[in-house]
Amino acid sequence: MKLSNKVFSIGLAMGIAGTAVGFDDMPSHPREIQFEELVFEAPIASDFRHELDNGIPVFMASSHEFPLMTIRFSFKGGSYLEPEGKAGLAALTGQLIRSGGNSAFGPSEMDEEFDFLAANASASIGNTTSGASINSLTSNFDDAFAMFMDMVKTPRFDEDRLEVIRSQMLEGIKTRNDDGLQIAIREMGFLMWGMDHFEGRVATKESIESITIDDIRAFHKLIFNPSNLMISVTGDYEESEILAVLNNTMDSWEAGPIAGDVPVPTHSFEPGVYYYEKDQPQVQVLIGHRGIERDNPDAIDVSIMNDILGGSGFTSRITNSVRTREGLAYTAGSVMSNRVEYPGMFMSYFFTKTPTTAFATKLVFDEFDRIQMEAASTDEIEVMQNSAIETFPRTFESKGATMGLFISDERTGRASDHWQTYRDRVRSVNPDGVQRAANEYLHPKDAVILVVGPWEEIKAGNADSEADPERVVTMDAFFDGKATEIPQRDAESMKPKASTSKD
Amino acid sequence: MLKSLGLAGAALLINSSVMAQQVEPIEYTLDNGMKFLLMPRDEQPNIITAGWISPVGSVNERPGITGVSHLLEHLLFKGTDSIGTTDADLDQQYREELTEIREQMRAYALDVQYKRMHTGEIDNPWDPANDTDELRDLRAQMTEIQDKQAEITIKNEFDSIYTGNGASGMNAGTSNDFTIFYINIPSNKLELWAWMEADRLRDPSLRELDAERFVVIEERRQRLEATATGKLDEQFDSMFWVASPYGTPVIGWMSDLMAYTEDEIFEYFETYYQPANLTGVIVGDFDPEDAESLIESYFGTLENKRPKADPMVTHSVPLLGEVRFSGECECQDQVEVRYRSVPFGHPDEAVFDVISDLLNGRTGRLYKSLVEEKEIATRASAGNQSNHFAGSFSFSATPKDGKELVVLESAWYEELERLKTEPVEARELQKVKNGQAADTFRGLTDNSSLLFQLAITEAFGGYGYLNEHPQRIQKVTAEDIMRVANEYFRDNNRAVASYTRQSNGEVKLITMEDVKASLPAEMVDMMTQQLSMQLEQMKAVTDAAELRIGLEELDAAMESGQIPQMMKTAMDYMKQQVLEHIKELEAAGSTPASEGDDQ
Repeated sequence: MKLSNKVFSIGLAMGIAGTAVGFDDMPSHPREIQFEELVFEAPIASDFRHELDNGIPVFMASSHEFPLMTIRFSFKGGSYLEPEGKAGLAALTGQLIRSGGNSAFGPSEMDEEFDFLAANASASIGNTTSGASINSLTSNFDDAFAMFMDMVKTPRFDEDRLEVIRSQMLEGIKTRNDDGLQIAIREMGFLMWGMDHFEGRVATKESIESITIDDIRAFHKLIFNPSNLMISVTGDYEESEILAVLNNTMDSWEAGPIAGDVPVPTHSFEPGVYYYEKDQPQVQVLIGHRGIERDNPDAIDVSIMNDILGGSGFTSRITNSVRTREGLAYTAGSVMSNRVEYPGMFMSYFFTKTPTTAFATKLVFDEFDRIQMEAASTDEIEVMQNSAIETFPRTFESKGATMGLFISDERTGRASDHWQTYRDRVRSVNPDGVQRAANEYLHPKDAVILVVGPWEEIKAGNADSEADPERVVTMDAFFDGKATEIPQRDAESMKPKASTSKD
Repeated sequence: MLKSLGLAGAALLINSSVMAQQVEPIEYTLDNGMKFLLMPRDEQPNIITAGWISPVGSVNERPGITGVSHLLEHLLFKGTDSIGTTDADLDQQYREELTEIREQMRAYALDVQYKRMHTGEIDNPWDPANDTDELRDLRAQMTEIQDKQAEITIKNEFDSIYTGNGASGMNAGTSNDFTIFYINIPSNKLELWAWMEADRLRDPSLRELDAERFVVIEERRQRLEATATGKLDEQFDSMFWVASPYGTPVIGWMSDLMAYTEDEIFEYFETYYQPANLTGVIVGDFDPEDAESLIESYFGTLENKRPKADPMVTHSVPLLGEVRFSGECECQDQVEVRYRSVPFGHPDEAVFDVISDLLNGRTGRLYKSLVEEKEIATRASAGNQSNHFAGSFSFSATPKDGKELVVLESAWYEELERLKTEPVEARELQKVKNGQAADTFRGLTDNSSLLFQLAITEAFGGYGYLNEHPQRIQKVTAEDIMRVANEYFRDNNRAVASYTRQSNGEVKLITMEDVKASLPAEMVDMMTQQLSMQLEQMKAVTDAAELRIGLEELDAAMESGQIPQMMKTAMDYMKQQVLEHIKELEAAGSTPASEGDDQ
């Protein structure tokens, strides 16, 4: 480094710099700084939207900073379409499309070609949507894209590669009881959505072993066809050229069935304390219940409410009391997730040492109480409103993210003026609305408290180690001290083990 | 058609990319020595990513204060006299009172509690559950002051000011050899950033130390102790680095986390956060002239109160023999083989990067050989990490179908032999170089990624590395690879970690299939024949005592290493079958007398 060891006094440094102001003239607090207004207009989807001859929407936004370009395919359809008993089919199919070769090349040849061209190709099947993308230097994009299209349209599904992925998945599921958080998330999924709905469902040894090449071919056809497709193009390209290339490729691609709609979960759960026994030095705690739908008219009130409660990092109340004030956890907060078709999930979470599990849980429930009983201050609300408004441009931070958003909006039928009116809707949030949202959408009495750890010690709380009697709490403070043990599950089958011995 | 693209296309690709790839920030150095790298770009409009870095991390620590770099990083978010408190004087007074109690508790713990631990009376001298009456009393006094202090503390004001002004992603990171603070801010808020950062560099208040200490302890549990392999990894690191401070966990050893005082932490701050030790980086949508004047006004007034701190003093000693570490955890079976490589900026660093790429990915040698051909691994990868003052290179893999870890290890040594003795083919090498060239662009497309690269390379010696390293990669030859493989990948320069799944008390019967799966493919036929022959001989024995002697001999042979490790499953199977047969014999009443002798 070229830094010098010279030490200057403040005066000398300022003299040399010759700047107009010294520190004494600086604002004494950031609130005194005057900022220029930042003008930002949200981009409008229709400005970027094109259609191919066969009607497939293409969202395009170029940039010429680097000689790279990306085409992303987004398909309707995902793991919710897996037939009964075939959990894991979606993940396996996605991976095999990418790694199983195409009509021109066997799997390792195709991989070699992509790598030699320094092109990144991907394919994956998610919960409700699926995708494939190709990113390469503009100079060899034609070759890379031709290989990619062949892979997406006519994947080879090489059987040896299928067995490699299958064995990776089979090894992977053996580790499902190793990590406490993984157990907690899985069990919360079972409780919230049931083991049959795709949100809760997990693959088993049996389901993975039962998947055949025919299952995979059929699943690919169901999702990866033009009827489900929307496209985005970003990076260094010429618009007319790319549209011509896309039109050409689509010609020979037969439209298939439109993927069915996402099923609504029908499972219900009993509120209460649930525990999964595991010998570990830190306990994972999840407190949850069902949340809201994305297009719920109260969604903005609910979102600001959750930001105040636990959704906005250090500035939110749960983080403040559990982490900053009491030092009980490194990670603590809450999330209100939504879904388009049905209510999502509200969840508060933290990880703490065994004896303070009950104390931290009580702090979270105190915050539920407080936000329901007392109106939040306008200051507190303003911080969250400003944050939502001022970070709004980040929603459109990169062209890739923006095009992805437009595709998702069109697919899910989001109101076309959603982003144009967003900031005004945020501005209209008031203390009444926040309190109403807390009372209507938070249900502490109907929640699940899920803990993973050594139950007897968790239950006993912190009487042994806490000097301040007001901070002593045991798990008896919740749901009249009643708790349900979740049986230990066999990692591979997810079935309860016969005996629940502590070891 | 695609094949014809061949080398001509590739050559073209490399030329164009190396020519184009130049990172040229505006350099701006204040008179106090603090340097700034400014990188205006409008690809992401209205947004700036800004941060600063100090080349300090756990390598600067010593026993007794491990983890202090990281805890200090946390405490630098607690505010100043202006931020985080309604009454700076009273806050100062509370902090002094707390310091006094803390020092009493520390002295007491190091004396009485440590002795109690050494005599086996308690397990942990710092655990409040082991408090004596004196400690309980001190702790209660502490809580009382902390609760009073809380009344004048504006919790997390540092964060809420940023949040309310549209900043996002506020965070910091501590590593072995740097500490970095960064945030995304709207384009019109650069002055806010300059104010906030200069303020905390001038006059940080390390308040709420005790609560934050516990937060970090929870972070340690979350990241390390409550993870499948965290604790074992930590020990392996510490064995691998021997004397070097790279063996110190960044988050610190648990005993030290409980021990340090506010004075110790502030001393550390004063030593390593002088302006001459720092580099600021701003990337995104801003006007560099405006930025320079803000930097001058805010950061220009910071003073160097001390001479520049020494960098790491204790460097690593070479490994003089193979290090082996085996542990059990609730984890997948896995093996890692690790070598000393080279620090940041060493001429051979680029060669190690090329070697990693030759080995990794689905077209890499490890996947082809260990996963596809030999079918012994589900995953295998390798990577080089060149830190500021030392580097390491690792191979790691997870076995398929219960294969013994030594089988994976042997397969790795075979790959090494290839690297050492066979020149890499031109096309294979070119493939790696093509990928590296394209990835160089990919790494520059995002503001945050650019900020990290500029900050870290500058802290380690100069951002020019970002332009030079890609060129060095392009110049790596097949001979370089052979030379480096022979020079660094030596048997006495390696450490091997083998983790196996804790048995958890569950007894699982071994089958002949398990035995077959555990062996290298070429040995399966031979071994199964031999094993069935031995099993038949064994079944013919009717004296249980004789079988028990046989078992002991088998154990002794395993322990002494006469039987290779890769035969372990086969031998376990043999033992299981022998025991089974003994049970049958004994149930049938054969030689009951010998039972007494043996028990």
